[in-house]
Amino acid sequence: MLLLELRAFGAAAVREWRQLRRYPTFGLGLLFWPIVLPAMYVLQARGYSGGDQRAIDAFAERSGTNEIAGFLFIGWSMYMWLSIVLWGPGTLLRTEQVRGSLEALFLTPASRIGILFGPAVAHLVPALWMYVVVGIALRFGFGLVVEPAAVLRAAVVILLAVPALYGMGALFATLVLRVGEVVGPIQVVRGVFTVLCGITFPIVILPDLARSAALALPPTYIIADLRAVLLTGADLVDLVPDLAILLGAGVVLCALAAVAFRRAEAYARRGGRLAQY
Amino acid sequence: MDARALTKVFERGRRTWIQRLRREPDHRERFVAVDGIELRVEQGEIFGMLGPNGAGKTTTMRILATLLLPTSGAARVLGIDVREQPREVRRRFGAVLSGERSLYWKLTARENLEYFAALYHLPPRRTRERIESVLDAVKLTDRADDYVERYSMGMRQRLVLARALLPDPPLLLLDEPTVGLDPQAARDMRERVLELRSEGKTVLLTTHYMEEADQLCDRVAIIDHGRIVALDTPTALKRTIQAEEVVRLEIAAEADGVVSRLSENAQVARQERADGLLHLTMHTVSARDFVPRAFDAARAAGATIKHVEVVPVTLEDVFLALTGRALRE
Repeated sequence: MLLLELRAFGAAAVREWRQLRRYPTFGLGLLFWPIVLPAMYVLQARGYSGGDQRAIDAFAERSGTNEIAGFLFIGWSMYMWLSIVLWGPGTLLRTEQVRGSLEALFLTPASRIGILFGPAVAHLVPALWMYVVVGIALRFGFGLVVEPAAVLRAAVVILLAVPALYGMGALFATLVLRVGEVVGPIQVVRGVFTVLCGITFPIVILPDLARSAALALPPTYIIADLRAVLLTGADLVDLVPDLAILLGAGVVLCALAAVAFRRAEAYARRGGRLAQY
Repeated sequence: MDARALTKVFERGRRTWIQRLRREPDHRERFVAVDGIELRVEQGEIFGMLGPNGAGKTTTMRILATLLLPTSGAARVLGIDVREQPREVRRRFGAVLSGERSLYWKLTARENLEYFAALYHLPPRRTRERIESVLDAVKLTDRADDYVERYSMGMRQRLVLARALLPDPPLLLLDEPTVGLDPQAARDMRERVLELRSEGKTVLLTTHYMEEADQLCDRVAIIDHGRIVALDTPTALKRTIQAEEVVRLEIAAEADGVVSRLSENAQVARQERADGLLHLTMHTVSARDFVPRAFDAARAAGATIKHVEVVPVTLEDVFLALTGRALRE
């Protein structure tokens, strides 16, 4: 049974990838925004610091690295990936609902997890492409060299973060079944993550209360740990407490999401909301 | 498949969180979509649910398909409770419920079927063979690698049927399978449904087309306002109105007593005034005997019969006799 569910999960990924491929201009945006967006912040940082070594030292003291470009590019790249995983399942559910295919999917015996998260795997292909673009931009535009071993350690961090992110993504998907439209809640949470999780600045500059809130959010740890392994050469052993928190959060969030999704589906089945949007 | 005292009540309007927290009385309006439906579908038969739009056919179908939870009552599909074990139920039927929009238009027919084959847990070694088989069954083999967006509506509906057939289920649920199709496509779909029965499959279908129910179904449940008002074979249902023929009359000029004079010779099933004419539907044993008498009666009442139409008894007339309304209303 597990094998059949894995196959359904894979089929959902393949289906999404086939559809993505049929809109090739989608890839153009992935050449453009991953460079332009963080580059604007790098230029802004340079403008504000005026190239003054004291300003760069002050940044290094707060962030643990003087690689401003690397800091910002990693922050934004992670933000884009987080967006795919966090909003992907909810957006997909909504898209299926509006298209009229959600009921057809729910008529099959396949697990809802595979149906919801399989497509997110397909979106990792453009995400990987985005990382390659960012890597090339950092290497040739800003002179930042990342060791292959550091990339491997980053991959481990990402892997360990998957349960927490998928759990959060599934929680958002439940909102679609409860309230239908999720753009509003997504915008709010997206804003909170952008401000609190240190996408463009080190969180130590946040007021105490906001920093405490930031430390309660899994993306904060993911972004910080990725910067640590990619920019400062941190070993995974140094990150064990963070990674344990991420894994623990993953277990709790997945359990919460499973309960919430089951309840939301029952709610939708009571009110006939699967086909309503 | 059977349903016992199946009831579905929808609530209209919203109950806010504040109202819930304050435990205020729930004043939402209740709408009974399915009202105590009892039915049993035998293996290998085509069972139809016939009724006007909003009668509760689709809601019943959705409950049986596990997409809706009943408010009360029970339903079992192949012996499995739809409320207790929905996933087990889903393994045992194929459904045409949500129409052509439920397909991925940017994929080919074959790609659509490959995806759903995995979701139906078909073993990989059987997938290719099943896809070819269902494409052949709905006559789409030669267009299998075209994008669905290039299909006609009838082809899309056939592809939806092919998807339902993928797991080779013993039971098929078809909700208005010919709605929106052109006459030829509708005829093709009906022929395919009849083939399914000859293959030993059980089919539960909803329709508001009386000819479709008459032509396809071994037994028909006529549903109105969420209740089954009659259930039998089409022939037996038509026999219940005790008429061999239906005569439709259009009578000009209002004349007192014309209806009562006519009703001496046949049963008045329906009367309505429209476009300055009195439209009467009469049930009679013999139109040959009734029509001359009708002209005599009209003349005696000072009215003129403008149009006469004699048609055989249909399920529409059964519905009319049972509810006083036409199916299309």
